[in-house]
Amino acid sequence: MDRRTFLKAGAVAIGASGGISAPALSQGAAARTLRFVPQANLANFDPIWGTQYVVRNAAVLVWDTLYGFDDKLEPQRQMVEGEEVSQDGKTWTFKLREGLRFHDGEPVRSVDVIASLTRWMPRDPMGQLLRALNEELVAVDDRTFRWRLKAPFTKMKMALGKNATPMAFIMPERIAKTDSFTQINEYVGSGPYRFVRNEWVPGARAVFQKFDGYVPRNEPASWLAGGKRALIDRVEWVVMPDPATASAALQNGEVDWWENPITDLVPVLRRNRNIMVDIADPLGNIGSFRMNHLHPPFNNVKVRQAVMTALRQEDYMRALVGDDPALWKTLGGFFTPNTPLYTEEGGEMMKAANLERGKQLLREAGYNNEPVICIVAQDQPITKAFGDVTADLLKRLGMNVDFVATDWGTVGQRRAMKNPPNQGGWSMFHTWHAGADAINPVIYNAVRANGDGAWFGWPNVPAVEAEVPNWLAATSIEQERAAIGRLNRAAVENVVYCPTGFFVGYQAWRRNVSGIVKGPIPFVWGVSKS
Amino acid sequence: MSASVLSPGDVAPEAVKAAAPTPDIMPPVKVRKGLWGFMYRNPSIAIGGTIVLLMILMAVFAPLLWTVDPTALAPARRTREPSAMYWFGTDMLGRDVYSRVVYGARVSLIVGFAVAFFASVAGLAIGLISGFVRWADGIIMRVMDGLMSIPSILLAIALMALTRGSVGNVILAITVAEIPRVSRLVRGVVLSLREQPYVDAAVSCGTRTPVIIWRHILPNTIAPMTVQATYVCASAMIVESILSFIGAGTPPIIPSWGNIMAEGRALWQVKPYIVFFPAVFLSITVLAVNLLGDGLRDALDPRMAKRL
Amino acid sequence: MFAYVVRRVLATIPVMAIVALFVFSLLYIAPGDPAAVIAGDQATPEDVERIRQSLGLDRPYLVRFGSWVFDIMRGDLGVSIFTNLPVVTMIKQRIEPTLSLMIVTLCLAVSIAVPMGVVAAWKVGTWIDRAVMGFAVLGFSVPVFVVGYLLAYIFALELDWLPVQGYTSFSQGFVPWIENLILPAVALGSVYIALIARITRATMLEVLQQDYIRTARAKGAGQTSILFLHALKNAAVPIVTVIGIGIALLIGGAVVTESVFAIPGLGRLTVDAILRRDYPVIQGVVLLFSFVYVLVNLAIDLLYTLFDPRIRY
Repeated sequence: MDRRTFLKAGAVAIGASGGISAPALSQGAAARTLRFVPQANLANFDPIWGTQYVVRNAAVLVWDTLYGFDDKLEPQRQMVEGEEVSQDGKTWTFKLREGLRFHDGEPVRSVDVIASLTRWMPRDPMGQLLRALNEELVAVDDRTFRWRLKAPFTKMKMALGKNATPMAFIMPERIAKTDSFTQINEYVGSGPYRFVRNEWVPGARAVFQKFDGYVPRNEPASWLAGGKRALIDRVEWVVMPDPATASAALQNGEVDWWENPITDLVPVLRRNRNIMVDIADPLGNIGSFRMNHLHPPFNNVKVRQAVMTALRQEDYMRALVGDDPALWKTLGGFFTPNTPLYTEEGGEMMKAANLERGKQLLREAGYNNEPVICIVAQDQPITKAFGDVTADLLKRLGMNVDFVATDWGTVGQRRAMKNPPNQGGWSMFHTWHAGADAINPVIYNAVRANGDGAWFGWPNVPAVEAEVPNWLAATSIEQERAAIGRLNRAAVENVVYCPTGFFVGYQAWRRNVSGIVKGPIPFVWGVSKS
Repeated sequence: MSASVLSPGDVAPEAVKAAAPTPDIMPPVKVRKGLWGFMYRNPSIAIGGTIVLLMILMAVFAPLLWTVDPTALAPARRTREPSAMYWFGTDMLGRDVYSRVVYGARVSLIVGFAVAFFASVAGLAIGLISGFVRWADGIIMRVMDGLMSIPSILLAIALMALTRGSVGNVILAITVAEIPRVSRLVRGVVLSLREQPYVDAAVSCGTRTPVIIWRHILPNTIAPMTVQATYVCASAMIVESILSFIGAGTPPIIPSWGNIMAEGRALWQVKPYIVFFPAVFLSITVLAVNLLGDGLRDALDPRMAKRL
Repeated sequence: MFAYVVRRVLATIPVMAIVALFVFSLLYIAPGDPAAVIAGDQATPEDVERIRQSLGLDRPYLVRFGSWVFDIMRGDLGVSIFTNLPVVTMIKQRIEPTLSLMIVTLCLAVSIAVPMGVVAAWKVGTWIDRAVMGFAVLGFSVPVFVVGYLLAYIFALELDWLPVQGYTSFSQGFVPWIENLILPAVALGSVYIALIARITRATMLEVLQQDYIRTARAKGAGQTSILFLHALKNAAVPIVTVIGIGIALLIGGAVVTESVFAIPGLGRLTVDAILRRDYPVIQGVVLLFSFVYVLVNLAIDLLYTLFDPRIRY
C-alpha cells in the first residue's frame, strides 16, 4: 500500500464515522508556497540586536538596504537612486529612489534612514568607524539626506551594502529609535516580503508573505543588488534540529529547499532524482583555532607557532566536511580565498602540517606541561568536529589537554574572561568565520591584533595593526594588496589565530524549484516553484 | 507514587508493601540445591546475570579484545563500512567503531552501576530520616514530591547544562533525578515495618533507634532496594544515551554507547552501523539488567514469585 | 470527603513552591551567560554588561526571585530573553502539538497495553504470556530515539505510508493531524505500553486469585466477563496510578520524540531554552510541567474513590 491509498483508506474510515477531512489545498496554492529548512532556528528577529547569520538571512527578506553587494562583492545601489560625493570626499549626499514603501503602507523617508543608521552604527565594526568620523547626518528633504564626515571614508558604499552582520537595514523611524542593545518589537520593513508575525513559532517556523507594494529595481538580481522579484507568494521556514529528519523530509517532498545538508547525507540526496544538490556559498567559511595570548602556554609565541606548525588543516576539513576535496582547501592566509585581498604571503607555516617540527618548537619554547584548557561547544557541529581533532592533535604534540565539553552559550561567556585558565579563564576555543565576512581587515575583526581591543584571545601585534590604516587609505587595489600582504605575514608569524581550513557547504532542493543561486545568503527572490 | 524515567521499577511503591518480607508464607517446595539449581529456578537471573557479567568482562578486558585506541582519529579513513579490518566500520572521524563500542561499555556500565549505588545510598539515608524523624518527614517528602514532579530527563538535562560534561557530572545529574523514588521506597518500608509487632516490642523495650535500624529495618530494606537498584541501573544507562542525544551528556573524547549513537545519528540513513552496534549493545545490556531485576524480585519476594 | 479534597488540593501548593524555588535557584547558579550569547561575537565586555543590565540579570538573587514569584501570581511568566515574546505566548503556540502527542500516545498505549496485560495474566505461564512480557521488557530497553529512527525509516521512507516529520494542527482536519502523530506516538508509547502492560498483568494476577473471582467462576460466569467485568474493574486502581505516574515519563520522552520527528512542541522548546540559557522560558515550562504532573496525580487520587468504593478518607 502506498501513501495515497493508505491516506484514502483513512479518509474513508473517518468520513464514514462523520469526521472532518482536510481542506484540500489547490495545486496553485501549493506551488506558490516555498518550504525552506534554514541552517538554524530563528530565535529572535532583530537583525541589529542579534548578529547570528540565520537572523540576517531572514531579515534580507523583510528589510531593504541602501546598497547591496552583488556576486562580485561590489556594492551596488539598492534603495538609493544616486549619491554625490563632495570634492574633499567628506560630504556624501544620497537620494532615495521613488516608490519605496514600508509594509504598513508608509513611504520610506530620510528620517527613517537616519534613525536606522544611527541604531546600526554602534553595533557594527564599519559602523563604528563611521560613527567616529561622523560630523552630521541630516535629512535634506523626504528623499534626500546628507552625511558630513570629519575625514574622507572611501568604503562608505561597502559599509552600507555589505552582507556581514549586522547589515545596515532600513526600518521605520519609530522602530529604529529603539536602543541598539534592546530588541525591537515590531518587524516592519520595506523589503519584498513581510513577516507574518502571528505565525512565527520560534524554534519551529517563521512565515513570510509577499509584499505587493514592493517595487523592484529594473536591473537583474545579483545577490543583494538589482531587482528583488518575489515569484513565490509565501515562504515558510521550517526549523529542523535533526539533519536526519530534514534529509528524510526533503526526500519525501515535505519540504522544498534545505539550506545546509550535511555532507555525508549528500550521496543519498543525489540518488533521488527529484532532488538537486549544489554548493551553497562559494565564499564558504574559515575554521578557527583561537588561542589566549594573555596566559601560558599560549602567551609564548613559540608555543603558538608549534601548534600552527603541527596543525594539519586537512584533518579538520575531513572531519567536518568529509572526503570530497571540492568542498575544502587548506589556507596559507587569513582572508577568504578567491576574493581580491586573499594572499598567502608569509603563510608557509600555516600549511606546514609537520608534527615533528611542531614538537621540536614546543621543546625550544620551554613548554612546561602547563594545562591547555580547551573549551569546546558540543551543540555546534563545526566546533564539535574541530574539538575532537584538536584534542587528538594537542595530545600527539605532547601537550597537557584539559578538554571542557560544553555548549555554545557557555563558550560565549567563558571566552570573554581574561582570568588565568585555571581561574575560570581558558586557553583555546574553536569558532568559524563566514568567508563573506573575512574579506577585509575592518569587517574581519578576528584577524585584528590590537591587544585589549582585539577579539577574544587579545593578540597584541603592532605590525598587524599598522597595516589597517594603510589599507583604509589605499587608493588602488595594488596598494590594498600590498598592505594586506604585510598584514598577513605579521599575523602568521605571531599566530594571531590558527585557521583550520576553508570549507564550503552544500544546499539541496526539490527539482521543481528553480532560480536558486549560490551565495552567502539563501536568496529567495528569483526563485520559483512549479 | 514514583516518577521514574524508564524502568519497570515504577511499580515499586505498590510492590513495597508486598515486598516487605513475610517468609512464613513461603510454600514448602522441594528444591534442587546449589548454584545450578538456583539458576534453573530463576532463569531470568541466570540469563540476565550472565549477559551482565559478560559485558563487565568485556569492559574490564577491553584492551585485550583486539581493540585499538578508541579515540585515535584518522580523518582519511572516515565512514568505512564494517569489514575484516574494521569490524563495526569507522565513524565520521575515522575512529574504529568496534573499539569504541567495547570501550564504551565502561562508561555506560559505570554510569549505570554508580547511579544505582549512589541513588540507593542517598535514598536510603533520606528514606530512613524521613521514616524516623517525624518533623522532617513532611519537609523531605514535599521536596521529593517537588523533585519528582519535574520530568527527570529535563532535570538531568538542566543539571548537565549547569556543569561541564564529564562522566562524574552525568552520574550526579542522573542520581539526583533518581533519588526521590528510592527514598520513597525506603520510607514506605520503614513506615510499614514500624507497625510490625516486633519493632513495636523493640521500641517499648527502650532499644535505641540506631540499633532498631541496624537490626530490624536495614535487613528488610535490602531486598526491595536491590531490586530497585537494578531498575535504576537500567534506567540510568538509557538516560545517559538520551543525554548524549540531546547534546548534554558524556564528553565526546570518552566513548560511551550513548555518545557513539549521538554522534552517528545524523548519518543513520547512510551509515546505519554507527548507530546500530552501540544500540544493540546498549539494548541487550539494559534488557539483561531488567531481567536480572525481575528475577531478583521474584527470588527475593516470594509472594510475587508464586505468580510470576 | 470534601475536607479531603480541600486538604489534597492545598497540599499541592508547597510542592509547587518547592519546584519554583528549586528551578529558580538552579538557574541562578548556572554558568553560561545569556547576555554573552545575545551580544554575539562582535560585542565588547561593556556591551555584554549593558545587555545584562537591561535584562535585569545584575540584580541580587532575592530581588529577582521575589519579582518573578510576584509576576507568576499575576499570570505573567515573563518575556523570553531571545525571542522577546511573552513566555505565555510561546507556551500557547506549542501546547497543542505536545498535548496532541500525549493524548494520542495515552490512548494508543492504554488500548494496546491493557488488553495485552489482561491476556498475559489470563494465559499466565504460556508462550503468549512470555511473548507479552518479553516485549514489555524490550520496551524499556531500547532508547526512544532508536525506536523513532527505525519507525521513520520503515514506515515513512521505505513504505511511504506516513509523513517523516512535522505537525499539522487539528484545525486542518483529523486525517493530516493523526497522520503526523502515529509514528511519534508509537515511538513515545513503547515504554509506556511496556509499563502499563506489566502492571496490568501483575494486578490482574493478584485479583484473579481473590475469592470473589472464584465465586464468579463457580457461578459459571464467562471467561471474558470475569476478566473484563470483575477482575479489570478491581485492578483499575494500580493501573490508573501508573498512568498518572507515566505523565512524567511522557513529558520526558516527548523531549526526544519531538526532536526526532521535528514536532514544534513544548519538549523541544524546553531543550532549546536550556541549551540557550533562556531563563524565563525554562522556568515557565518546567513549572508548567510540574503543575500538570501534580494536577494529573491529584485528579487520579480523587478518582480512586470512584474506582474503589472501599477507599474512604
